[in-house]
Amino acid sequence: MSTRLAGRMASMRTSEIREILKLTQRPGMISFAGGLPAAELFPVEQMVRVTEEVLSRDGHRALQYSTTEGDPPLREAIAERMNRTLGTSVRADEILITSGSQQGLDLSGKLFLDEGDVVLCESPTYLGAINALRAYQPRFVEVPTDDGGMVIDELERCLAENDRIKVAYVVPEFQNPTGRTWSLERRRAFLEIMARRGIPILEDSPYGELRFEGDGMPSLKTLDTHNLVVFLGTFSKTFCPGLRVGWLAASPALRERYVMVKQGVDLHTSTLCQRQIAVYLELFNLDADIERIRDTYRGRRDAMLRAMDESFPPGIRYNRPQGGMFLWVELPDGIDAREILKSSLEDGVAFVPGAPFFPNGGHENTLRLNFSAMPEERIEDGVRRLARILTEAVDAVGVRAAEAPLTAIAGERLGR
Amino acid sequence: MQIVIDRQSRVPLYRQIVDRMRELIRSGALPEGFRLPPERRLAEALGINRSTVLTAYRELKGEGLVDAHVGRGTSVRATAAPVPAVGGPPGLPWRQLFCERALRVQEPVVRDLLELTERRDVISLAVGLPAPELLPLGLLREIFVRLVDDVGPPLLLHCPTEGHTPLRETLSHRLATRGMTCSPAEVLVLSGSQQGLDLVVRALVDPGDVVVVEEPTYVGMLPVLRGAQARVVGVPADADGMRTDLLATVLEHQRPKLIYTLPTFQNPSGAELALRRRRELLELATRHRVPILEDDPYSELRYDGSPLPSLRALDDSGQVIYLSTLSKLLFPGLRLGFLAAPRSVVHQLALLKQGTDLHASSVGQLLLERFLSDGHYEPYLQSLRIAYSERRDAMDAALKEGAAVGVRWQRPRGGFYFWCRLPDDVERSRLLAAAADVGVAFLPGDACFFEPPEQAYVRLNFSYPSPEQIRDGVGRFLEAVRRSIRPAHRAVPEAVGMPPVV
Repeated sequence: MSTRLAGRMASMRTSEIREILKLTQRPGMISFAGGLPAAELFPVEQMVRVTEEVLSRDGHRALQYSTTEGDPPLREAIAERMNRTLGTSVRADEILITSGSQQGLDLSGKLFLDEGDVVLCESPTYLGAINALRAYQPRFVEVPTDDGGMVIDELERCLAENDRIKVAYVVPEFQNPTGRTWSLERRRAFLEIMARRGIPILEDSPYGELRFEGDGMPSLKTLDTHNLVVFLGTFSKTFCPGLRVGWLAASPALRERYVMVKQGVDLHTSTLCQRQIAVYLELFNLDADIERIRDTYRGRRDAMLRAMDESFPPGIRYNRPQGGMFLWVELPDGIDAREILKSSLEDGVAFVPGAPFFPNGGHENTLRLNFSAMPEERIEDGVRRLARILTEAVDAVGVRAAEAPLTAIAGERLGR
Repeated sequence: MQIVIDRQSRVPLYRQIVDRMRELIRSGALPEGFRLPPERRLAEALGINRSTVLTAYRELKGEGLVDAHVGRGTSVRATAAPVPAVGGPPGLPWRQLFCERALRVQEPVVRDLLELTERRDVISLAVGLPAPELLPLGLLREIFVRLVDDVGPPLLLHCPTEGHTPLRETLSHRLATRGMTCSPAEVLVLSGSQQGLDLVVRALVDPGDVVVVEEPTYVGMLPVLRGAQARVVGVPADADGMRTDLLATVLEHQRPKLIYTLPTFQNPSGAELALRRRRELLELATRHRVPILEDDPYSELRYDGSPLPSLRALDDSGQVIYLSTLSKLLFPGLRLGFLAAPRSVVHQLALLKQGTDLHASSVGQLLLERFLSDGHYEPYLQSLRIAYSERRDAMDAALKEGAAVGVRWQRPRGGFYFWCRLPDDVERSRLLAAAADVGVAFLPGDACFFEPPEQAYVRLNFSYPSPEQIRDGVGRFLEAVRRSIRPAHRAVPEAVGMPPVV
């Protein structure tokens, strides 16, 4: 067939991560690559009872078409949950149920982005967002970040240097890929600047509930007094990713627009899955489930950090996130994480190089480690294998580095 | 109410109306509950097209300033009352921030219909839903319990973007039994077939590209094409489907990126593309190297006559992207569809889909796979055919009354719909209000055309209502038609050519 693709397809590429994830399917592979929650923590047995209940209570409704906005009891439950856990004041008619929070990103691209518009994002940022938004051919302006989130001076600089900024995309809580969390100050400053410039914010918060310690932070949506923030939420990280149910919260007039766009995209999200979650929230205690997930992930993070502290060579920086599923590693300059990956795959360990998380390229010396998917012993085993490969690589550049002036980061470990 | 429009202005007319009304509402000049003038009246008063007013009202509704209800008109919303200037922050000028593509997606008439359908006293012949009482609930429950035992956690986990592998295998096998050979790798599982329309158009159509559709066409395709900023060329259809002779002319003069067709028991017309035309369509598309998107949700719901091969089955050159769904038959709420296409197309669409929603719900896919592979599908389908053909006959019989009023229709051999042509003296603008008065909902035919046609049509659905509701509903529909016939003395004589001078 003479498939003449639309011009915008040129900007799509086979995602590197897709290829890596294929490799992780090999038996015996220790994977720090995926962003998958731990499967054994999901309430499969309870879901049988939930499904029984859904089908016997209102089975016909659960299998029939429903409205684009989503199941009203589920929207009520989500609004109540957001208001309770985040301190927002969101109403059910401000919620749109989406097919995973990924769809919230895609709909946002459809709604806001003309070709050449600018998306302001963190550097690095979530790859799924880059891919979803890239389909609408925007330009990405990356704002440098540090352990406290987006650097405000840098933000001001980016705003001064770019016009046509249409929308900002941020993950302020346990960000993917870095695991970083924004400080309260930065949140306030960011909101104030965005309000002044009239730039809407997409606040993606898939990991917010996975805090292992420390005080919770108010979300941008909580602090927002200007109706700037579209909040994207999901059940995929705390519950059942295969159900593909997420949501967005936006002011009623804006949500109405999202509804129109979604209608053309998939009419509505699976009614059965929506009813399953609504009934689950009614019959069981999701908070208790999340507590269990947190305990498990906390243990895994600790195991990973302990092993890294013990076995990683000097010159490698990494952070100690207080929650989420990832931590972020910076290798000495001159070491390419993709090369490391080649060796580590041979040794049965997978991770994701950091470069793809930078929409405009660079940063080959970074990588992302997931700590949520593997049990502790395997984490320790995998980290030690990875450490051997890294030690060799560091030694190899170390010879060259010795001839160059010492960099400030040598031997330093971030956040300790 | 003072609305003044400036025809010289570069601001579009509908925007002028929106801006002025917003101002009046914000200032409190139009209080809460104030009924805006009916679209037609305002259009006449301003000497502009009714669709301009319609667009303006939809826009106001989109901004949350007004509420619109079929039969009750458009009124100023409670929450739209003037916001006190102090205290509340100004908020963003959202409308200026939306992109071109989004602004083209108008609120489809379908939403208003769903609203009307929710009224208890209304019989709905409007929506294309399967009969809820026929859905195999008990079976589904059993399958789910067994799946939990057999599959466990993966039931609730992620699956590949292209779809659950056993489901792709089962679907490819099913397609083969209907003469469509394709490997599992050529099957892409979708979150409903609407997603297939969206993905295919996104992958193939740049702004300004030509897309050919038959007219009337599926109402859900129109917002997709508008959003893609496609240039749509409609090819008229008759009882045998798309007029391939006219298509030939279009292909000579345009260079379309895509031909979209629903050849079997079309939505809305119920028409079946004749075999000869199927061959011609393929031959033309192949010669001009234009891909065909064949949308085929209904072909398994045949009530009489023998099956025709799908375009995909007749295609030897990989020209056809075949799109189907089980939503119309089985569990619409699961939102599952699929398409079959050459591997390179599946690959490209999967990349897009990954950015869109990662994958279709795993639970739904596993349920469907079991349902199909355990052999439940054929007997279930057979029971649907029997039930739906009775409903079709009930509607056909009930419509006979309508012949006297001047309603014309053809009994479809399958699918979900009757397509009725209304008498010429029906006032379309009165029809929906009359229908709301008598308590019946249907899809106005205009919604299925890019440009409103000369003739008035409606689409009546017979799968969702029971046979009794069909009889009652058709009676109400005919009453609404009678009530909206223009009184003879008001008939506007139309000048048809020049009177000969004798």
